[in-house]
Amino acid sequence: MGVPLQSTGKRGDGEGDRQPALRIRDVEALGAIAARLRRDVIDLVEPTGQGYVQQGLGAADLFTVLYFAELRLDPADPAWPDRDRFLLSTAHNTAIFYATLAARGLVPAVEGYCQDGSPFEVNASERVGPSIEATCGSLGQGLSVGVGMAMAARRRGSSRRVYVVLGDGELQEGQVWEAALLAAGRKLGNLCLLIDDNRMQVEGHVDAVVRLDPIADKWRAFGWATEEVDGHDIPALLGALDRARAAEDRPTCLVVRTLPGKGVPAFEGILAHNLKLPADAAATARAALAEGAAA
Amino acid sequence: MNAPANASALTVEDFNIRGARTATPKHYGEALLEAARRDARIVALTADLTLPTETDLMRDEMPDRFVQVGIAEANMIGVAAGLARSGDIPFAHSFCVFATRRCYDQIAMQIAYPRLNAKVVGVIPGLSTLLGVSHQATDDIALMRALPNMTVIEPSGPDQVRKAVAAIATYDGPVYLRMKRADGSERDLGGDDTSFAIGRARVLRQGPDGLLLGTGMMLGPVCEAADRLAAEGIRVSVADVATLKPLDPAIVDLARRAPVVVTAENHSIIGGLGSAVAELLMESDVRPRFARIGVRDVFAEGGTTPYLFERYGLTADAIHAAFSRERSRGA
Repeated sequence: MGVPLQSTGKRGDGEGDRQPALRIRDVEALGAIAARLRRDVIDLVEPTGQGYVQQGLGAADLFTVLYFAELRLDPADPAWPDRDRFLLSTAHNTAIFYATLAARGLVPAVEGYCQDGSPFEVNASERVGPSIEATCGSLGQGLSVGVGMAMAARRRGSSRRVYVVLGDGELQEGQVWEAALLAAGRKLGNLCLLIDDNRMQVEGHVDAVVRLDPIADKWRAFGWATEEVDGHDIPALLGALDRARAAEDRPTCLVVRTLPGKGVPAFEGILAHNLKLPADAAATARAALAEGAAA
Repeated sequence: MNAPANASALTVEDFNIRGARTATPKHYGEALLEAARRDARIVALTADLTLPTETDLMRDEMPDRFVQVGIAEANMIGVAAGLARSGDIPFAHSFCVFATRRCYDQIAMQIAYPRLNAKVVGVIPGLSTLLGVSHQATDDIALMRALPNMTVIEPSGPDQVRKAVAAIATYDGPVYLRMKRADGSERDLGGDDTSFAIGRARVLRQGPDGLLLGTGMMLGPVCEAADRLAAEGIRVSVADVATLKPLDPAIVDLARRAPVVVTAENHSIIGGLGSAVAELLMESDVRPRFARIGVRDVFAEGGTTPYLFERYGLTADAIHAAFSRERSRGA
């Protein structure tokens, strides 16, 4: 596709000398990356049949836009102090997360996903390296850490930004709302929350467990700049992130509607939180994703 | 707006400060401020308890390094982690019970597991509150001790509090600091040895007949019990175990020479100083006669501190009695 995914960037002393975000704006190129990442999700999960397939396929477009169009990161120096921070509070969604980090050149090839001894655990821990900014997975904690990072960035006068992905089911954790209050109260314009609104939690549809709607109205009421975005509409995601960057006086919440299993028709809409992927289903997925890439 | 115009004589300060019967020294707050002046990375967080945690001194002198999170301890710990991961040295403050039990998972995953350079600071240890069972921290040491990477410290007396703050400010790693906020009645105990070092038990006196180990508010009763034993011709060693974790291995040598060992803590007998000492001695094949003074696996009632300490056996009398019982049992 002709995109230098592993650019080492220009090295220098100051933040301004660094390679900023790749800022790929070409929708077709981003779509091609997302399609590749969906195939990577199946490849990662197939050997053990263990991993979060539905969520990974659903969030592939979101991860693509974040890592290839938005986040300022330096693959040559993943611990660059003024990098943008990205926190995956739903730390179990690792097939897509690791595939994205590897494609962006931030981690080496993902070896031994979900296998004993590998740092690529099913829940992302910082054993992987500096690209895992905090060990989440105990749901509800990621936004608080992001608030602290945003406060620290602002006090240092750094232009780095903080991005946090929460699941919609995760909003049932009370700590999320403590963090929401504080972020708005402190006008953290350098903080962008993305809710992976896939309507799914362990026991099925979120409404069948504890209803969350109206999600966007809740965040608006808490003082956040809030938008609802189709998580598979790449231009819409790009536009929403542009507006988030421009909102300097308050944090932004993007309620990103995603479809579990997106890209594999036989998987789409199945609210299977922890899919044990049978070998034949993996073959089905691979065929569907290959067909999609050819189309 | 809520106050009638003719009530101008009274202000918030009348209730907060003039209402206090004695001037309260700010040993902790001053020590933190001094450390923060030396190290620009230090920041203070509080969850609506600025005055009780003496962080008003930080707030007033360096407001950009003071973070008020509101009544939200779990979020405070997460925010502290985010600050620490950005190069700050956060000191997160609350009452002991809310700084630990209420946000245990957050401390485990966001502070202890990544071994961040962050400090959790609690005031109101054990039964030292009028506010009842909800505010009593009798399991905080047990909880914090159980976390890998966590250092647990409870200093005794103003001088040790100041030195402990200075020590943890330069120690690179997670610490839980537990202490009683000063009310002016505290005194320094220790005689010649006034040093403080993380991980070292401070030996206050030595004697051949036994060993009394105390921490925090129980060091005074421990010394009083030792005095009474001395008056009976029984000379015991006394040590201030300000670091509950890691426990000073030198305690083994002190205990090896002691026929009777008694521990005393303002905490449950489960998981605190007594447990830690028992674990250390058993695994070191040192088996003195042994007793623990502390809250004996009960939730306490509310009341004044002297009443509660008497009611739950946190007294020199209780220490003296336990020692004498164990001593006579082996005679």
